[in-house]
Amino acid sequence: MTTTIQSPAAVGTSGSPAAGGPGPRRRKAITIAAARPWLLLAPALIVLAVLLLWPLVRVLIFSFQDYGLREIVSGDTNFIGVDNYVAALTDPQLWSVVLPNTVLFAIAAVLCTVALGTLVAILMTNLSRFWRTVVGSAIMVAWAMPAVTGTYVWVWIFDADNGIVNQLLMGAGLMDEPFNWFTNRWTFYLIVLINVVHHGFPFVAITVMAGLLGVSKEMLEAAQMDGAGPIRRFFQITFPSLKQVFTVVIILSTIWDFKVFGQVYLMPGGSGTNRSVLNLGVWSYVESFGQNQYGFGSAIAVLLTLVLLVITIIYIRVLMKEDEL
Amino acid sequence: MKKRYLPLAILATAALSLTACSSGATGGSGTDATGETLNVWIMQGTNTESDEFFERVGDEFTKETGAKLNVEMVQWADAHDRFVTAIAGGTTPDIAETGTTWTAEFAESGALAPLDDYVTEAGLDGKLVEGLVEAGTLDDTLYGMPWYAGVRSVIYRTDIFEAAGIAVPTTWAEFQAAIETLKTSNPDIIPFPVAGDAEQLTYPWVWGAGGEVATKKGDTWTSGLDSAKSQAGIKFYTDLALQHGSSTSGATTWKETDVLDNFAQGKVGMAVMGSWTPATILDKNPELEGKIGSFPIPGQTSGISPSMLGGSHLSMFESSKNKDLAWTFMSMMTTGDFATEWASQSGYFPGETTALDATVASADEITQAFATQMVDGGASLPVTPKFGAVQAKKTTNTMIQSILSGEKTVEQASADAAAEMTDILNKK
Repeated sequence: MTTTIQSPAAVGTSGSPAAGGPGPRRRKAITIAAARPWLLLAPALIVLAVLLLWPLVRVLIFSFQDYGLREIVSGDTNFIGVDNYVAALTDPQLWSVVLPNTVLFAIAAVLCTVALGTLVAILMTNLSRFWRTVVGSAIMVAWAMPAVTGTYVWVWIFDADNGIVNQLLMGAGLMDEPFNWFTNRWTFYLIVLINVVHHGFPFVAITVMAGLLGVSKEMLEAAQMDGAGPIRRFFQITFPSLKQVFTVVIILSTIWDFKVFGQVYLMPGGSGTNRSVLNLGVWSYVESFGQNQYGFGSAIAVLLTLVLLVITIIYIRVLMKEDEL
Repeated sequence: MKKRYLPLAILATAALSLTACSSGATGGSGTDATGETLNVWIMQGTNTESDEFFERVGDEFTKETGAKLNVEMVQWADAHDRFVTAIAGGTTPDIAETGTTWTAEFAESGALAPLDDYVTEAGLDGKLVEGLVEAGTLDDTLYGMPWYAGVRSVIYRTDIFEAAGIAVPTTWAEFQAAIETLKTSNPDIIPFPVAGDAEQLTYPWVWGAGGEVATKKGDTWTSGLDSAKSQAGIKFYTDLALQHGSSTSGATTWKETDVLDNFAQGKVGMAVMGSWTPATILDKNPELEGKIGSFPIPGQTSGISPSMLGGSHLSMFESSKNKDLAWTFMSMMTTGDFATEWASQSGYFPGETTALDATVASADEITQAFATQMVDGGASLPVTPKFGAVQAKKTTNTMIQSILSGEKTVEQASADAAAEMTDILNKK
């Protein structure tokens, strides 16, 4: 065997299998060499397939069934074709309330998160080591806070009767009666926005800061010598060299902000009572899990995955040139 | 369903253990299930002394049967999801506490075992609280063993009422007058919060005005939330907040727990709350000791406005390996001393009539009003597995909240809610 197995480079350049040695043995050598990376990857791939791929396939199978508690108990299948998809896409609430809330919120949240995160990153690169550590630790606390805890803190801050916001506004004479911030669609989402941005910007700040520290100082200095101001320097030198970082940060933020659930569900009225603030996460939960319509929920999950895939592909196309792919 | 009848020997031992349990003495070896374990899920938060309670139940159970009792406490909030995952994964317990509105739903899926034969053999036919039996029955088969029941009545601050010279209201007009007096006598408190995210606080006013939540004719359900009577009740209730200033803007998004919290903080004059809440209120704020009382929710012109008779069943899962052992535990929990004790500790009423009578007879002053409400003013929500979907969609809560926030009128909101409810209840 030792004489027939060659290095991959040798195999690559050897041309046709008949170039030397006995044919069958030589072909076997090639297959082993070609299979080697796959053999090495196999354990990881099998684990991924079991943990990720199989659940995905199951969701896809469920989405074509009327799958409820009864089917869970009996284990029977109950295929109904694309009825779930038709029902989901023809629900008037989806188009009039759910999608506008989800999409507009995701756009606003991604913009705010990335802008604030970048500004904090720039601030941190200009600080001394000591203050950078202080600011870094402070924003880490916001990041480390569980979403549930953070949501309740913001709910308390905006509480109608005892919240600090209403008390301040009334104390300043700007308001006579306590205002319930959670009944209005816009103020409701303003609070969600503050909550999500507060929880999400540290990730952006730390990632962008890591990228900023790698931007060539010489280029920046040269640009300054040529008379470029700070804004121009950022958009013409820093931003282009951080493109990959921003791509990753924006894609991840979009995926997270599209799927916001807990931060809305836990707010007063957010779990379905106030219909004008439903978003995709809460809507699909109430319609599927709340009513034991697991097939319907799976169909929504498949649709959401497709939408996020499309958004991701568009981002990568726009933000990176062909040769960078 | 395979086992519709019980082997005679086991019946005899079951009966033995029953008598043993009610007399509190050791009645021989009972069912011999040494080495087996019975897994039970109980909801957390019903009884503050549940750990100690189940320790004693476990000891007694082991003495009776030789088997070990394994009680796991489950949070109400994620209980429904846990049941579903357990059913899907085949890891269901032998017995679980199920809320009365869930039993029909799980029974319909085929996960629960029928209990009629056990109940008949134990001689409990006709001795169980009717409302709970009704809620635990699907297609004339009992799946939920009545365990405990509760109702909502009005809890009020006796000290404030006395100081302001307000008598306990017995009609809606008097109720409204009491609110007006409270507004002037105690401007700092909320006279009567109208919570916008609490369906159970809404139904008494619908029923009190003579309306219906939903009725069944033949095979078709029709929601009655938009009838003239229901609308009158809903209008009276929401007008308390919108026209008479009995509530706050914050209460528009309150759940029942928020009502409880604010009452415990001493910020509320009176509120509709459950028979299980007085203990919690005093636990949170001992200063209110002796300052709270209760009265049944007044009727529109006389009598009582009904509130939902809610509570819990014990349900046996079809997957349980030793159903007779499971029944031994069920009967131990739902009849006799343990049932009475659980009820008095938690502020609920037992689901068995003998125990219920004993509890009502020995009830303290604050429990008395709840007992009256339960006997004369206990109502039940539409008994169909689909009502769980109505609750998940928060149809009634949406109606109330949209009226309170000024988004819709009573007529619009109730018409929308009725249409949605009728639609969901009639889904196949």
